[in-house]
Amino acid sequence: MKKYIYSLLIIAATGSIKPAMAQNKAYDFMVDGVKVIVQPSGNNIVEIQTVIRGGVQNYPAEKMGIEAMAMRALTECGTLKHDKNSFKNELDKVSASVYAYTTKDYAVISMSCVKPDFNIVWPLYTEAIDQPKFDTTEFSRIKQDAINDLHANESSPDASIDKMANKVAFAGRKYAEEPQGTPEIINGLTAAETKAYYNSILTKSRMFVVVVGDIDQAQIEAKVKALIAPIKKGAPYTMPESFFRVYNNSFNAESKELATNYVEGVTSGPQLNSPDYYAFQIAMRIFADRHFLDIRTNNGLSYAPQAWFSSGSTSVAKFSVSTTMPNKYIAVFDKLVDSTKHNGFTPAELADMKVTYLTGFYYKNETNAAQASSIAANEVLHNDWRKALTLIDNVKKVTLTDINNAFSKYIGNIVWVYQGDTKKVDPTLYKNGTLHQGDNPVNN
Amino acid sequence: MISKIIKSITLCTALLLMATVSFAQLRLPAGYYYKQLPNGLQVVVIENSKVPLATIEIAVKNGSFTEDSVYNGLSHLFEHMFFKANKDYPTQAQFLKRTQELGAIWNGTTGNERVNYFFTFDRDSLFQGLKFLNAAIRFPIYRVEDMKKERVVVDGEFQRMESNPFAQLYISVNKKVWGDLFTRKNPIGIHEIINTATPEKMMVIKNKYYFPNNSLLTICGDVKHEEAFAMAEKIFGSWESSGSDPIAKYPIPKFKPIAKTDLFVQESSISRVPYILYEWQGPSYETDSASTIAADVFSTIVGLNASKLQQALVDKGLASSVSVDYSTSRYTGPISIGVVPNPNKVKECYYELNKQINMWSQADYYTDEQLKDAKAILLRNDEYAKEKPSSLPSQLSYSWASTSLNYYTDNTDDYQKVTREDIKRYLDTYVVGKPFVGGIIINPELNKTVNAASFFAAQ
Repeated sequence: MKKYIYSLLIIAATGSIKPAMAQNKAYDFMVDGVKVIVQPSGNNIVEIQTVIRGGVQNYPAEKMGIEAMAMRALTECGTLKHDKNSFKNELDKVSASVYAYTTKDYAVISMSCVKPDFNIVWPLYTEAIDQPKFDTTEFSRIKQDAINDLHANESSPDASIDKMANKVAFAGRKYAEEPQGTPEIINGLTAAETKAYYNSILTKSRMFVVVVGDIDQAQIEAKVKALIAPIKKGAPYTMPESFFRVYNNSFNAESKELATNYVEGVTSGPQLNSPDYYAFQIAMRIFADRHFLDIRTNNGLSYAPQAWFSSGSTSVAKFSVSTTMPNKYIAVFDKLVDSTKHNGFTPAELADMKVTYLTGFYYKNETNAAQASSIAANEVLHNDWRKALTLIDNVKKVTLTDINNAFSKYIGNIVWVYQGDTKKVDPTLYKNGTLHQGDNPVNN
Repeated sequence: MISKIIKSITLCTALLLMATVSFAQLRLPAGYYYKQLPNGLQVVVIENSKVPLATIEIAVKNGSFTEDSVYNGLSHLFEHMFFKANKDYPTQAQFLKRTQELGAIWNGTTGNERVNYFFTFDRDSLFQGLKFLNAAIRFPIYRVEDMKKERVVVDGEFQRMESNPFAQLYISVNKKVWGDLFTRKNPIGIHEIINTATPEKMMVIKNKYYFPNNSLLTICGDVKHEEAFAMAEKIFGSWESSGSDPIAKYPIPKFKPIAKTDLFVQESSISRVPYILYEWQGPSYETDSASTIAADVFSTIVGLNASKLQQALVDKGLASSVSVDYSTSRYTGPISIGVVPNPNKVKECYYELNKQINMWSQADYYTDEQLKDAKAILLRNDEYAKEKPSSLPSQLSYSWASTSLNYYTDNTDDYQKVTREDIKRYLDTYVVGKPFVGGIIINPELNKTVNAASFFAAQ
């Protein structure tokens, strides 16, 4: 073992001496109906993500949380070869991680290790996917942990307001379902039904695998072939897309004893295949800069003003602040949206944002995990992982007219939610706007 | 005359030797290059061509460790004002515009023992980026109206922190751990101090700490060290030294030890899950650097799934998580244990936690294999830590401020040398049987059934 540690040290030292090599080109290939996407990394770390498509589409509302529990159970409830402790102990010995989680659109089972440990960690990873045990004692334990996590998340004001925004904005849609479920639903789940559920979504038709690391293609092919051998083919899966539009401003508040107040707004955004997609992305990034300047710098209204485009099978634009002056905030916000719609963005803003995108693109490429996540998201959402790598080309094509049109087209009525001191906020300012230009100053 | 020449030669040789010795003593990882400018500014260039970017960071030995109750929170406000206005970019709108032109990803942080400012941009923008950094660090403009607005922003950051129950408990525990000198460990500060800050107070901080001889400039990325050093010298060479070490000139008072163990219950309506935090005063790099290394190894051991601590609390369902941490510091670092107990078994969790801590210095508390595993983990963690080039300056400057550059370089090797005796000495000196502060934050509704005060108290 000592010798092994030593050789790792030498590898680490060598890696530091030589400048890291530029990455080789990414490629993909099929293995028995499952797409495998490989991005050579030029470093000593291996990140693998196996993706299962579907997310909230996979389960009914009364079972939300079941996919999250299945993912948690893969690494916390043992496998047919290892009980939970021996599984985790083996990973600990090589400081590797195998964990799984789910989102509204897909689930990810990931592993990360240093390259010399790959042949130790890969078998554990495949066991977790192919042979999870769903031990009932361990399952009871992780149910309590999951409930604790839900409560802990609720204690985090940022997470809590976002959850509330989703619940209110997406009411009546699948997207309103929270992948982590509720304490009541989690409490009622059994290990057997969660295992059956997992087996129902683990199909080749829903899967693909992303590898970011310097493992040769033949080895990856052989390993993935063995990984998916026991997995059934399954029915083809197509992600349903849904367009989100708000027809009236609304305001929902929850009283909470917080040191400040949290506000979040949700409005429309282009669908994934819309020609406005990249233009709107850029428009929102520039608007976020304006929002920061106006809300924080010019008016001192918030430490953390944010505006972003959240893209998924239901894409939306969101705005959030924490502020002790919620009425002033909405007045400044309305004016800012109004002036942006009337006067548009500037050529300099667009030019600068294109440079920022370039920095951001390389910044993301600094870690294997971030690269894998970006590839996975693009493959799920666009059916085209290459969009993770051609982002800059797509951004370069966007014109000033494109971003001005996109902003005006999608930023309309807003679903507002609020947590904090309800006496400090006037709901009518959020519902009717503050500019007195008709019912809604930010109408399309 | 001859005598004078001989004296000069002798002196030169001596100086040369000193320089050689000093150079030989400084150790940096391969690919890291060091130079100290005549004004005292230390410059490190890290050549890393993984992506075609450059990250620049200036770090200053400032932060809450320099703050008494009159200044608590103002290193942080100062850090915010850095991004406001300076002689080249006189308004924040112009400042932000320049960051956008550079396509920069940027931020700043204020901690206990370091304040740092960092920018990442295209490698070809390095010279322009350094000029931008120079204007901001050396020639800030403090306007009353700008400060009025920024005070609210910084206070807003404070209020966000207070809106989180874990942070509420953290502040309560730390007030008791550090007593009269709590301000020295509280970078977020005090509301009244932040809300009454003036440009004059900003200048006091600048004139005390913002000098090249109290700063580290790090340039990391797809750069060449000779060119980067030349740029640094050209741009920062005229920054005048203060002539003396600010930290020696304005000495840092010593913390009083915790007199006796203090346990308390804090109710909070926003706490949806209970949380326990224990904290001890741990080792200082200045007086016991060996224990700072042993501390990290021990924290890693008890983080192992196979450890007695994880098995007793997490595996048995008494807690969702338990983590032990030591925060490396030049001036007394805290040792902490954070536990998320099972809400249905808070009392059992508490008793088991105490039982475990009392066993920590026993020789069989961990196995030789676990010690070996912990060292192997720390070895690999170094590899993960070095993966992201833009994060390297920040990692380096943390060590520079709270320990030394050699500490940074030797850290992973030093972990491998830690013995059982080192760990025992660390635990016996700072933890086992030593006074500590413990708090539990809990929702009042849950506490009606738990009644934490009935057991969560010093015996």
